[in-house]
Amino acid sequence: MINLKFILNEKQVVVETEPSIRLLDLLRDKFNLTGTKEGCGIGECGACTILMNEKAVNSCLILAAQIEGSEIVTIEGIANGSELHPIQKSFLKYGAVQCGFCSPAMVLSAYALLEENPNPTEEEIKDAIAGNLCRCTGYKQIIEAIVKTKE
Amino acid sequence: MIPSIEILIPKNLNEVLGILSNQNRVLRIIAGGTDIVTGLKQESKRFIDTEILIDINRVAEVKGIEKRNGKISIGAASTFMEIYKDQIVSKELPILEKAVATIGSLQIRNRATIAGNFVNNAPCADTVPALLVYNATIEIESISSKREISLQEFLQGPYKTQLKKDEIVTRINIPVPPKSFIGDFYKLGRRQAVAISRITLAVMMELNGNKINEIRIASGAVTPIGTRFQELEKFAQGNEVNDNFLKSLASRMGEEIIKLTGLRWSSEYKLPVVQQMFYVILRSATTKNL
Repeated sequence: MINLKFILNEKQVVVETEPSIRLLDLLRDKFNLTGTKEGCGIGECGACTILMNEKAVNSCLILAAQIEGSEIVTIEGIANGSELHPIQKSFLKYGAVQCGFCSPAMVLSAYALLEENPNPTEEEIKDAIAGNLCRCTGYKQIIEAIVKTKE
Repeated sequence: MIPSIEILIPKNLNEVLGILSNQNRVLRIIAGGTDIVTGLKQESKRFIDTEILIDINRVAEVKGIEKRNGKISIGAASTFMEIYKDQIVSKELPILEKAVATIGSLQIRNRATIAGNFVNNAPCADTVPALLVYNATIEIESISSKREISLQEFLQGPYKTQLKKDEIVTRINIPVPPKSFIGDFYKLGRRQAVAISRITLAVMMELNGNKINEIRIASGAVTPIGTRFQELEKFAQGNEVNDNFLKSLASRMGEEIIKLTGLRWSSEYKLPVVQQMFYVILRSATTKNL
């Protein structure tokens, strides 16, 4: 077991954990942050996307010990108290959420994009979410929600 | 289930070499982890015996991209995103930039690294054909040795390289290609993203008027490992880049591949696609510049 120190949703945290459990499991089981989902477990669906040091990554491919000292942001971290983030509001307004399983990760991919590039083209939006699979919407509403957020 | 593994996070290269020099336990270097963690999850025989993982993401000596002694030096643990965004790569190594742009997804490219790609050496490794046409060499260190060899020499077979248990690849060095060199990279996957390559092609050439002065040809995912086609390159040298010649070169390319692999279940599909796409990228690279 190790004592892992990192920043989770802007708060300094310390947790005792097995070094080689997946970051995905650390977040869901130790911190009860179940917004991050497991879809495929092998880095192909993107449902487990979180932000590590401001970059979108698959949490199913990162082992707990590797995040020592890093900044981790999960879906639970982007709302402002009970006020949803503009991206979340857009997703709800434009029908970008059906079953919702891909949504937390999709929102974070959009968030990471807009933080770096506040005015992306539609191609850039598609590239940013290419690693997030959605089985429900056909992506049109998701892209529209992101386009409307930036406007 | 991922087994319980100890993870060390060294702060510099000396620490890494020290850890590697003690071979009492089964050690493995990890950077992006996009092959290793997937492999561990799937209980791959290649990784199942790992006892200690050495995370090199904070080792400065294996990061960063810079010009050194007329060569471009890429840190082994540079992520594909870092390489894609780098100004030197954009300007001087467009084939490598294109090769890394379509690997996996954005999430994968934010973690996966260049050395991880060719040290894992899957038959479809996307960086290999690009690095081969750039005549890349790699620096390898252990506590008692330092060597630099061509990438081609380093790669031995599918999932097999020369890397010894106590060694680490530290840098990839590429001689700055002369401005006169033109080229292209092509990838075919089952999808536009999150797709393992079914065919990759890389070509670089220097023309003298209408004639080929030098040409470098490499493929990935169609032979057991990414490979250069030196016989084909010699054959092409001195020839005119007219349509007929490019078509005959593409045809020969297909023949060379079959010589290496024999007929496979996928040959019926891949062979004509390789030949046609090879012709297409030769055409596009040469017409842009004539």
